Amino acid sequence: MKIQQLFGMGVLLMLICEAVWSTPLPDADEIARRINARDEGVAVARSLTMRLTDRRGKTRTRETRAFRKYYGKEKRTVIFYLKPANVRNTAFLTWDYPQADKDDDQWLYLPAMRKVRRISASDRGDYFLGTDLTYEDIKLETRVSMNDYRRKTTGEDEVDGHHCYLLESIPVDEDTARELGYGRVEQCVDSEIWMVRRSRFWDIKGKPLKTSYFRDIRKVQGIWTQHRIEVENHKSGHRTLFLFRDVDYEHGVSDDLFTQNALRRGL
Amino acid sequence: MVSAMICLLKMPCAVVCSKIAKRGGAAWISTLAYSLAVYAGAPDVDQIFSARWAAGIDDGRSQLFELGWRPEARWRFNDGGRLTGRLRLRVQTESGTRPGNIENDSFAPATRPQTIGETGELDLRELYYERPLDDWYLTIGKQQVVWGKADGLKVLDVVNPQSFREFILEDFEQSRIPLWTFNAERSIDDWLGGDWTLQLLWIPDQTYHALPKQNATYAFSSPRLAPQPPPGVSALIRSSEKPDRLFADSDAGMRLSGFVSGWDVSINYLYQYDNRPALHQRFISGATPLVEITPRYHRMHVLGGTFSHAIGDWVIRGELGYFSGRYFLSNASQAQDGVASSPELSVVIGLDWSGVEDMFISVQWFESWLSDYRQGFTRPERDNSLSLLTRRYFWNDTLQAELLWIANTHDNDGLLRPSLSYELEDNLEVRAGLDIFYGKRAGLFGQFDNNDRFYISLRYGL
Repeated sequence: MKIQQLFGMGVLLMLICEAVWSTPLPDADEIARRINARDEGVAVARSLTMRLTDRRGKTRTRETRAFRKYYGKEKRTVIFYLKPANVRNTAFLTWDYPQADKDDDQWLYLPAMRKVRRISASDRGDYFLGTDLTYEDIKLETRVSMNDYRRKTTGEDEVDGHHCYLLESIPVDEDTARELGYGRVEQCVDSEIWMVRRSRFWDIKGKPLKTSYFRDIRKVQGIWTQHRIEVENHKSGHRTLFLFRDVDYEHGVSDDLFTQNALRRGL
Repeated sequence: MVSAMICLLKMPCAVVCSKIAKRGGAAWISTLAYSLAVYAGAPDVDQIFSARWAAGIDDGRSQLFELGWRPEARWRFNDGGRLTGRLRLRVQTESGTRPGNIENDSFAPATRPQTIGETGELDLRELYYERPLDDWYLTIGKQQVVWGKADGLKVLDVVNPQSFREFILEDFEQSRIPLWTFNAERSIDDWLGGDWTLQLLWIPDQTYHALPKQNATYAFSSPRLAPQPPPGVSALIRSSEKPDRLFADSDAGMRLSGFVSGWDVSINYLYQYDNRPALHQRFISGATPLVEITPRYHRMHVLGGTFSHAIGDWVIRGELGYFSGRYFLSNASQAQDGVASSPELSVVIGLDWSGVEDMFISVQWFESWLSDYRQGFTRPERDNSLSLLTRRYFWNDTLQAELLWIANTHDNDGLLRPSLSYELEDNLEVRAGLDIFYGKRAGLFGQFDNNDRFYISLRYGL
């Protein structure tokens, strides 16, 4: 038997073994459930720096302080802008309800108007205050929506040296796709800690829209926490960098922060 | 040693502050704020520098040139309290919009801005201390209290008076006149269930609308707002008869606001002197007949409510206000001093739509009805206005295009305000636009038909 034939048989044997013995890919909904079941703490306070860079390299920087708290399955999030002076005191509050048929409630405080403005929750596909993340992205943080997508596991990959499963999500219908601004999403989910490490988005026409990387993931007070989100919009060339610091899950967050009064008063 | 040097460096500021204080009014508060900077630790400071220039479209003449500096400082205390101070220094070089062209006697002494020469104005815009105290949240000092849900059209946003130096063209944030106010808020979820807040206001500050003088660029000339002496008769405007008793002439108010089944609602009540003076007139006959006009302020009750609710791409919002007795100009012979009063009911309903990405469209319908309307009133029994706002964001919100149209459907006059603003740098914004008035001269907007202007402004934050 020639060496080439022996090599060929060996490869064939390996492929047969791979097919027989390899672990099947986990179910996509199971992965989504694991992502959402991950411990996020009841409440968290953190500082967030947003760096927004346009295609010519011009960068704008916003310093914010953000808080999030769960009330059962209801989640409330508030972001206060601290710098620069032009946007200082702008604040965004959202109450995110677990019921699929109940719209979130959202408010925006614009200091130039000195008024808390009710905003439509169907703006969720709009980009959040000049960033490359949508209102929905901001609201979901590290979680995924169970109701907006049909999903399947399409394979495996590696991001920053971490093994992950590829999760493909397609909006359940055209209306939802239009609302979200996405026609398809592919997420690379870490197979050990069940956090998304990379997301690729396509627009509703199927063209590449943006790619997000979730990096510098490490434990804070026992909870896996992302400290860096990088987003590049392939259509506009605009990039957004979110840097989290002073993350605190332990010292509690006052309920008073998640109110319209708090938006008006600022930090 | 270092502390002594810092004090020495800061002494010139203290001298300036004390000089300002000698000029009277509320400026001693500036000195107090400065002392806090020295003794209570370094505050967080933000500053906005601004420049605005406007020129008439018809004649090309410069209408306004303004340089501004608006520093803001915040001191935090260990007890959870916070002191916020905001100053505004601005220099106006065009005569029609200079500080000297605004009636200053509508201000209480402790609230009045300090004029510096012919063109400068230093204003302690706000100075308030706020802190939680048991179940209450107190905000005490000079501040703005903004009620209502309407944009550009005011129904319940009447707690603070307004400067009409540029009619309604100046940003409300800048034209609203902050008042010395005791503001107490308390969550009353435990009383009513749900999310409810009670706000109580006590305003011992007798400051009212600041109106342009007769020779100012935006002086009122519409018969709705300004008495019209007969031909050959001149008008003499007397000093206003302004309430001045600290306690007895205070305003007081209450707001109950809540969130119920997805609806933001509020019930508002205010016992106040109408910020708009009644222009009482007296005819003096003689060789040179004249009409003597005396602005007087009258008490009234304001009762109202607001709501807003989001449904899909839409937000519906509105407010209703009942004013127990407002004074209006009247030509009727029985209105002996040229004014007569009537209760007024005002309502505004707004509909916001954001169904297209980066786009915002808002429509408002406004109606005001005088329940005791009498022949001779110079304004109609029912007055209607419409507004349309379209705003589009480009390039990750760095460029914003906007068109605001406000129209009075009774007089068929209105105001068109297209504008473009662009964030040149992180902290530098440039804005350019047009303010175009149209309609008959007797109308609220048509009276400024000659004042159409082009403007450009710069705003730099530090």
